[in-house]
Amino acid sequence: MPDHPAAQIEAHIPGLRRFARQLLRGDPERADDLVQDTLERALSRWHLRRNDGDMHGWLYTILYHRFLTDLHREKRRNAHHRSTDVAVDGPEVEGQQEAALIHRDLLRAFAELPEEQRSVLFLVTVEDLSYGEAARVLGVPIGTVMSRLSRGREKLRRYLSGERQPVKAQLGKVK
Amino acid sequence: MSDIPGPIGDDELMAYVDGRLPTQRAEAVGSYLAAHPEIRERLSRYAEQRQALRAAFGERADGPIPRRLRLTRLIAERRQRRRRRFAEIAAAILLVALGGVGGWTARDLLFPLASLASAPAVGTIMADALAAHRTFAVEVRHPVEVDAAQEAHLVQWLSKRLGRPLVVPDLSATGYRLMGGRLLPAGSGAAAQLMYENGAGDRLTVYVRPGVAGEASLYQHDKDVGAFYRADEGLGCVIVGDTERGALSRVAERVYEQTFPGIPKHDLAPQREKNG
Repeated sequence: MPDHPAAQIEAHIPGLRRFARQLLRGDPERADDLVQDTLERALSRWHLRRNDGDMHGWLYTILYHRFLTDLHREKRRNAHHRSTDVAVDGPEVEGQQEAALIHRDLLRAFAELPEEQRSVLFLVTVEDLSYGEAARVLGVPIGTVMSRLSRGREKLRRYLSGERQPVKAQLGKVK
Repeated sequence: MSDIPGPIGDDELMAYVDGRLPTQRAEAVGSYLAAHPEIRERLSRYAEQRQALRAAFGERADGPIPRRLRLTRLIAERRQRRRRRFAEIAAAILLVALGGVGGWTARDLLFPLASLASAPAVGTIMADALAAHRTFAVEVRHPVEVDAAQEAHLVQWLSKRLGRPLVVPDLSATGYRLMGGRLLPAGSGAAAQLMYENGAGDRLTVYVRPGVAGEASLYQHDKDVGAFYRADEGLGCVIVGDTERGALSRVAERVYEQTFPGIPKHDLAPQREKNG
């Protein structure tokens, strides 16, 4: 069976997990829940997928929809939802200290961005989606992708040029 | 002096950073930037961000995919759900049908059918698994066809050849590490052999054969090696090794758990009795 879903979906699982973790900052358990949901959904809608071979985009779209649905449900539940969980789910600071510190600052800054900008930046830079693909996944026009990208990048630049020193200095002076 | 065809927009600057501009346009942006150092400065920050984000996200090891995200498991669960629903409906229809007929007549009618359906060639599968184990477990240079380093490829390839998704059980809890696997001829179809090794150099193999009817569970000891056999969900699965039975049974349990995720755990303990 060349058309078996498992073989085609399997390769995308690591990417889906990355995307989910990015969306649910610092909660890998919930991120995997989201991925599991996505996979179940993908399997049940397998026959509905468009046959243009864009498995990547299709799966990411399902995941993002699930994410938004959950988010809205959650928001409705606790009326004054305030996202306080800006825990930075960064890579372990080991080995190359310098690179790790820069990464940590960057990821912290990245985590401060609004979700829409983070998602665009993530899909375009980390996952290498084209602007058109990113627009389809996020369900917005391509122009919106471009403006979110531009705003996200600029915000990140400002944040990093202002914030990088303190974090580094503080850690550097520990005796 | 500037022969830039059309003004450079913000979108194009983004596309420049992402390397998504056609060459000609990229050159145009390049010369535009040469004349605007402050913008060039900003774009190089963006490019750094891009690199750093990729590195930061790429750096974190994704780790092995947890069991609950294994597709084979999710697919098996779906199938199980569907089968259960179907069985309930079938049972309901049968009950209605039996209402009219005498119970014993139905029993006589149903029994031969049931035994016919569960007539798997256990002996053949066992023999094949043992033979494959003896042939390859002693191999020094070519124990496997595809190495564990290419696990994704191994899974994809064998799944394709077996015509159903193959689960490569994670046996690290029992100290065994995957070495790789190979494809084997089996009757008119194919079977797969996965080989594992522990720190002491003991090897064991997991033999998987699709197209097996019925359910069965069995332990067999043959000269130097022991083998646990289990058939379910259309799959025959044999764990062969020359380790003592208790240890092999623990391994078998791990294998079953992962191979037959739809079966309740307490049903998975490998056969303890029979010709020890």
